[in-house]
Amino acid sequence: MESSQNDYHISFFKPTTDNARRNRNMVLQLVLIWVVAIFGFQITLKILEKPVPEQAYTLFESSWKGIESGFPAPGDLQNAGQAILSVLGKLSIIPEHKEVLDNALSSLAYQLSMQKEDLKSAVSAFEELAASTTVITDEAYLAKKKELIPVLAGLFDLNPMDVRSKIAPLEVKASLMESFDDASREALVDIMGLYLIHNRSVLTDFQFLGFPFHYFYTAVFLLILFVGLCWLYCVRTDMFHKKYGIED
Amino acid sequence: MKKILLPFVFISLPTLLNAATASTTLEGGFKVGPAIILITILILFVLVGIVFRAKDTTDFYAAGRGISKVGSGMAIASNWMSAASFLGMAALMYGSGYHGLAYVVGWTGGYVLLLILMAGQIRKYGKYTAADFIGDRYYSKSLRAVGAIIAILISISYCVGQFGGIGLMFKWVMGIDYTLAVIIGGAVVLSYTLISGMLGATKNMQIQYVIIIVSFLIPLFILTFKFDYFWLLPQIGYGSVVSDVINGLPVQEAQNLVNSLGHDFAIVPSPEFAMPWDPSTGKTFFQWIAIAFSLMIGTAGLPHVIQRFYVVPKARDARWSVVWGLFFICILYWSAPAYAAFGKILSAHPEVGTLAKDAIVVYTAQLGNIHPLIVGLLAAGGVSAAFSTVSGLLVAGSSAFAHDLYVRVINPDASPKKQLLYARLATILMTIIVTLIALKNFALIGQLVAVAFSLAGCTIFPLFLLGIWWSGSNKAGAIAGLIAGGLVSIVAITYFIAGKSGVSLPAHEFISYWLEAWYFAWFGAPLAIIVHIIVARMTKETPIEIRKFLIEQVHS
Repeated sequence: MESSQNDYHISFFKPTTDNARRNRNMVLQLVLIWVVAIFGFQITLKILEKPVPEQAYTLFESSWKGIESGFPAPGDLQNAGQAILSVLGKLSIIPEHKEVLDNALSSLAYQLSMQKEDLKSAVSAFEELAASTTVITDEAYLAKKKELIPVLAGLFDLNPMDVRSKIAPLEVKASLMESFDDASREALVDIMGLYLIHNRSVLTDFQFLGFPFHYFYTAVFLLILFVGLCWLYCVRTDMFHKKYGIED
Repeated sequence: MKKILLPFVFISLPTLLNAATASTTLEGGFKVGPAIILITILILFVLVGIVFRAKDTTDFYAAGRGISKVGSGMAIASNWMSAASFLGMAALMYGSGYHGLAYVVGWTGGYVLLLILMAGQIRKYGKYTAADFIGDRYYSKSLRAVGAIIAILISISYCVGQFGGIGLMFKWVMGIDYTLAVIIGGAVVLSYTLISGMLGATKNMQIQYVIIIVSFLIPLFILTFKFDYFWLLPQIGYGSVVSDVINGLPVQEAQNLVNSLGHDFAIVPSPEFAMPWDPSTGKTFFQWIAIAFSLMIGTAGLPHVIQRFYVVPKARDARWSVVWGLFFICILYWSAPAYAAFGKILSAHPEVGTLAKDAIVVYTAQLGNIHPLIVGLLAAGGVSAAFSTVSGLLVAGSSAFAHDLYVRVINPDASPKKQLLYARLATILMTIIVTLIALKNFALIGQLVAVAFSLAGCTIFPLFLLGIWWSGSNKAGAIAGLIAGGLVSIVAITYFIAGKSGVSLPAHEFISYWLEAWYFAWFGAPLAIIVHIIVARMTKETPIEIRKFLIEQVHS
């Protein structure tokens, strides 16, 4: 790195000794691998990605057209309900979005029900019980929930054992059954798209050791690579120091 | 000793077991079993700290430079593996999916830079603290003082997240209010740091590493075994958990597996957990890159990390200690995402409610119906992780005050005894400041800690990088670079605090997005480096003694 003993200048990019040149080349090689491995991969991921809807979104999109036409078939209402439950089953939903989704689901359940008042009173009774229950293992609460699950599952044409059936009693609200305004209707389409369309590519769909490949690469492989790069640097530096008799 | 201990074991064991079966709810009252484990571990730390306590200033600052490569690697890992790693990492992935992996990559990838660009050279430079280096390399008392002040600010910023983690765990164990938990946690960590000093902390750190990693891994092995995944290597076995979250796990496949609340081990398809920069997380590609980059350069600029290279005897040991340190750190980082994935399924039912993300590691173990004593060990591990880092940070901050500010700038004739006294006073003052900020609960632990990284990346990193590798780097350039990096930091942090306080500043949305508090170094660090180089080229050359020292000592 030193140009000469007279002026004592050093610069990483302008090495003047073999030692410095070798070190610079090794550092540049390692940094290049490091940069490409980290940022190169993420950029590739970004370039290849395409917005891919979940099956629930496709179902929602087709059924929503029927609902918007004003003459929905029962199947349309059921499919939309199933799709909405697919979103409500996800964690991390923004509270305002949840409100719209609950409203839409409750409204669909009401439209689908043959005994509307019975449904409303059953849901209302469950809500009251839920509000007064402090422990979710309370037997009365569990029994009421168990009663409601097949009713709602039947309305949405779901298997009572489906995950969505099990969350339905917690999301259908009696107070939201009879109104679903235009603003919420409009917001619903965007909300469904937000939660059901994802950035996917061949790198996310390919499986490796049970992982989606991109996840394995970032969460597991990159860390192995970092340890490997550090190990390589130390071994090569030691070898070089030994060869040229350099002591720390 | 046996006579004293045996009755204690016989008396406490049934108490522990009874207490454990009683504490099965996620939140709630005082959990006796976990509390006893936590107190036992803390007493163990203090006892070991007393045995190896600092006897003079050299011990206090650099642990006598007598630590082995593997030992130093463990100390690096323990010093590094904070509440942000132990609790915060899983929280970030639980909350924002793939975006959280930017933190995993950022907090590990930086070690490659640190090693190939700095570790050996820093050891060869032979200083005690980051400010020492800055003051000497840039031949300026004022810069030494500024370096010390920055080191203190970084330590405070880093500690805030740790205190948040300590508070959360104390809250969970004791069933008390967060505010009280932070205050109690702060008092305990202060006592521990003051008693043990740097030598004790270094020796302790190896024990702490073992406790941290064991407490983190045991529940993971149990979770993967219990829920029928490949448990022999959970760091790989959880891949199928991630895929199950993405594709959904029907109740029929749950095979009667339930969480501790009785909900099926099932989930609707949730690709947003693992798909890159998913729109529903509100995070973007730019933010992923900016966070990873900022954390990486921040790693190479953190005073308490750099300071660890002074405790090894030779530059070769400094280099190898990074390899070992990174490997030990990665064991935890390979494992943390598994907690997020399990947590996603176990808390999928709406009845579980909203959980504090920063405690998701502990909640996941609880929801997985793991024995409460093991969950207690996990919580104690979280506290140990925060403790080991906080003690290192408080020492780095107090050294910066006592050594770099007081002795080098204010009173050069101060005796070692007086110097030690000032270091301890600074530790107390910093603890009080950190506690007060931590009570505000501004953001997630990981995000709060990331602020310190960006601050280090904008200020210390350019000074070390250019100071080591370019003799043309001079005092004027350093000052200009510091001003540029400092200004970016001030703007970003001001906007962050204003936002949290409900105040809207001009172009708030724009600045908050491009210079968010946890990744402003993506802009600040390159800017500081460019300004440093331009000004250095236009001003007086670095003195020959410095250049000579660089060639003969640092790059020989």
